Amino acid sequence: MGLVLISHSGTLVTGLREMVMQVAGEDVAVAIAGGTEDGRLGTSAPLIAEALRSTLDASPEGVLVLFDLGSAALSLELALDDLDPADRDRTRVSEAPLVEGAVLAAVQASVGASLAEVEAAAAAASTMPKLPRDR
Amino acid sequence: MPELTLVVADPAGLHARPAARFVQAASKFESRIVLRYGEREADAKSLIALLGLTVRPSSEIVIAAEGPDADAAIAALAAELAPYLGAPDLVP
Repeated sequence: MGLVLISHSGTLVTGLREMVMQVAGEDVAVAIAGGTEDGRLGTSAPLIAEALRSTLDASPEGVLVLFDLGSAALSLELALDDLDPADRDRTRVSEAPLVEGAVLAAVQASVGASLAEVEAAAAAASTMPKLPRDR
Repeated sequence: MPELTLVVADPAGLHARPAARFVQAASKFESRIVLRYGEREADAKSLIALLGLTVRPSSEIVIAAEGPDADAAIAALAAELAPYLGAPDLVP
């Protein structure tokens, strides 16, 4: 199982990858696509396509994609259209919040879960409480 | 149903990394494993459930397991968590 993390900021997603790897361990393939090809804020279909391909190669079971803001979805669509149908079938896109979804998905993936289970773990991030419930 | 009580010594409480280690260790066992904190209980194989407990430092948690490998699960989880959370003070 692999993850592709997409952000408008390369810095953001570099830090997120570091955090995800520390929490989930080194066994989960995590690729990132952050910023534009010339290093500005934004997203790039070619960078996303590259991250997708490297992760799909490393993860026969499939890849879950998470992204930060809706405006990344257009670049992501272009990158997905570029994939072979078989690879596209092994790729799922999550609407989960990026940070929470990435951490939950990576830990789920680290215990050998299926793509559907990893996708469900990420989806649960949308309703995840953050503040303690005991006060 | 074997149980083990631990005191969370880590000043950050049960935070993301130890919780993730806990999920990874628990997922290797067939038994149903839960972590109890106060009156609440979370599935030990679910990170979102564990983080949802927001376990505070210096508080007590109970690991309980039910199933064919429950005893082995408790022993493994105690070993996994000891460095993060503090020494076991009760082994029934």
